[in-house]
Amino acid sequence: MTDKQIRILYIDDEEHNLQSFKASFRKQYNITTTTSVVEAEGFMEQKEFHVVLADQRMPGMTGTQFFEKIRIRFPEPIRILITGHTDISAAIDAINKGEVFRFIDKPWDYTYVENAITHAFEIFNTRAELKQRNLDLEKAYEELDKFVYSASHDLRAPLMSVLGIVNLALMEDKVESQNEYLDLIKQSVKKLDTFIINIIDYYKNARGVATMTPINFQELVNDVTEAIRFLPEFENVEMTTDITQTGVFESDVMKLRIIFNNLISNAVKFQDPKKEKSFIKLSIHATPANTLITFEDNGLGIKKDDLEKIFKMFYRAGATNSGSGIGLYIVHEAINKLEGKIKVTSTLGEGSIFEIDIPSINK
Amino acid sequence: MTAQFDFILIDDSAFDLFIYEKLIIKSGIGNSVRPFNSAEDALEYLTGEGESLPPTVILLDLQMPGMNGFEFIDKFDLLADQVKDKIRIYMLSSTIDTRDIDKAKASDSIIDLLSKPLEIGLLKTILTT
Repeated sequence: MTDKQIRILYIDDEEHNLQSFKASFRKQYNITTTTSVVEAEGFMEQKEFHVVLADQRMPGMTGTQFFEKIRIRFPEPIRILITGHTDISAAIDAINKGEVFRFIDKPWDYTYVENAITHAFEIFNTRAELKQRNLDLEKAYEELDKFVYSASHDLRAPLMSVLGIVNLALMEDKVESQNEYLDLIKQSVKKLDTFIINIIDYYKNARGVATMTPINFQELVNDVTEAIRFLPEFENVEMTTDITQTGVFESDVMKLRIIFNNLISNAVKFQDPKKEKSFIKLSIHATPANTLITFEDNGLGIKKDDLEKIFKMFYRAGATNSGSGIGLYIVHEAINKLEGKIKVTSTLGEGSIFEIDIPSINK
Repeated sequence: MTAQFDFILIDDSAFDLFIYEKLIIKSGIGNSVRPFNSAEDALEYLTGEGESLPPTVILLDLQMPGMNGFEFIDKFDLLADQVKDKIRIYMLSSTIDTRDIDKAKASDSIIDLLSKPLEIGLLKTILTT
């Protein structure tokens, strides 16, 4: 088995030990060797090692002392001690102070060493994974906290508006003016509904299992615009699409749908009423390797200060009544999950351009 | 005749501004109502008016994009005493978060936190007693 991805640092004061180790394992592992503990520390500063092997008997510093010294600064690499004569108190020190994973007896046996390194690497990976999981968990908690705070507001606010309108309608004697209030209630209820749909999208994106299928962008865009086409705001918008697709591009259609739906809806929602004609230019260039998507509009545009914040959860740029500040956050999360990139350029009063690059899964 | 007040409303929701303006006018406690859909605009207005501002009641929303209600209070506290003395601020919010409620209660500039939707009867009682 060759496993060149495993990076090993081996410290031994006897050069011939290093040489014979390299001779046996250099094809298998990525090996760095040195006779000096000072130089070894220098290497560790520059490069991340998975496994560190050290000889116990070295002049100046024992292997155990070396491990004890580097353990705090470099906790990740798994430590293995190579020792010629096992004396019990040295072994106790090695375990308690150096926190070594294994002892290797000299002269060492090829299979035994290979076995030790394989296990050490497994432990390294498990710990790294655990650390990543913890980070993910921390992020999830933080998001949940923010989510509950803002979602409770965004769910209650339209309801309280409805209640306020009802109070007002009850004070009204003229029956004819009730229609005006009913219309306001309708708008408020729609807003609440949009928010709930967004929450479901967010949940599907964050927790749902991704399914990779070949994507037909023409179909996808047709599907998405079909749903938006009937919004009254869409009437004044001219949407042009330029789609070129060669070969098979595989991705998660659910996430792509979220991206297209939010960006097109935003362009419709934030059109500039001062302009005679609003446009959305959508261009898609798909190859088996990746897909480039560009949304260009001549809408209201985004203030420079807001540009870096628009992808944050619940950030709403501008004091408009529409929008809960979750749409672009979901877009950003979906693109992250697809390992893609998004770039936005915008001039206030002129329009915005969103550029997205998504790699194919079968690249 | 009941007492009348001059109101400033600060809320990012156009619905809520519309509703509260109508409620205040209909109930007869409003002499004038001036709505703002952003705290920044309201602050600019207060700064511009200065001491020429009549005694005013402000109904202030909490969660708004840009400057929120608490941030508005921070800026408001920096205004001259002659201006601040003419203004009574009530926070009006749908929040049920205890951190927000505690913060509003702890603020010297916020007289009280009223929950949405605005109960006009309650507001009348508060302002006239």
